[in-house]
Amino acid sequence: MAFQIVMDHTGDTRHHFNPDDVQALAKAEERFKKLTGRGFTAAVRTASGEVSKVQSFDPNAEETVFFPRLVGG
Amino acid sequence: MFRFQRSLLAVRIRIHALRQLYRKVLGEITKDARGLQLMRDWLSPDQRAQFDDSGTFEVVGCHSGKRYRIYRGTAQNVFEIDEAGQLKLGLCFTPYGNLVAGDAMLAQKIALETDESSALAVANRFLPRGRINAHG
Repeated sequence: MAFQIVMDHTGDTRHHFNPDDVQALAKAEERFKKLTGRGFTAAVRTASGEVSKVQSFDPNAEETVFFPRLVGG
Repeated sequence: MFRFQRSLLAVRIRIHALRQLYRKVLGEITKDARGLQLMRDWLSPDQRAQFDDSGTFEVVGCHSGKRYRIYRGTAQNVFEIDEAGQLKLGLCFTPYGNLVAGDAMLAQKIALETDESSALAVANRFLPRGRINAHG
């Protein structure tokens, strides 16, 4: 099971999906495009624990986190 | 009889208000705790140990190699630090929207570690006056 975590005012919203399910994968990719299109940054963790920013949907990513665009405080 | 009904109504209103307050407070605690848990899960082992020890953690900027310390909070909580670990400069940048502290801190970490120059481009600078110049 893979999941996408979207940070929001409720803490976060988690979308679980089965990467072996073609329909679920397409829906996850659509969500990825929609969020990044709205300015969200997407990041994944590597097996070693390093974090990397991703520009395109990775169907093998087990966990992707999305956060809204940064603003100066 | 009328007085009794009025006092009963007042009690019900108070109970309802208390329930609402309880739900609100519990909800806040829950989302704060979830944000901190998510952040903690995404920290490196070293950062996690720092956070558990002092409530802060350090990150290295991907472009400059500079070190930053992130304190608990949503704004005015990121500082560039010198070689001795002393605060040099405050940087104020945060994700748009009303996010909880754990989420904001995780976003700040990811931004500095993966796209430092973009984070610095939006950040406002401030002097770290009043902030304890040590961990915690």
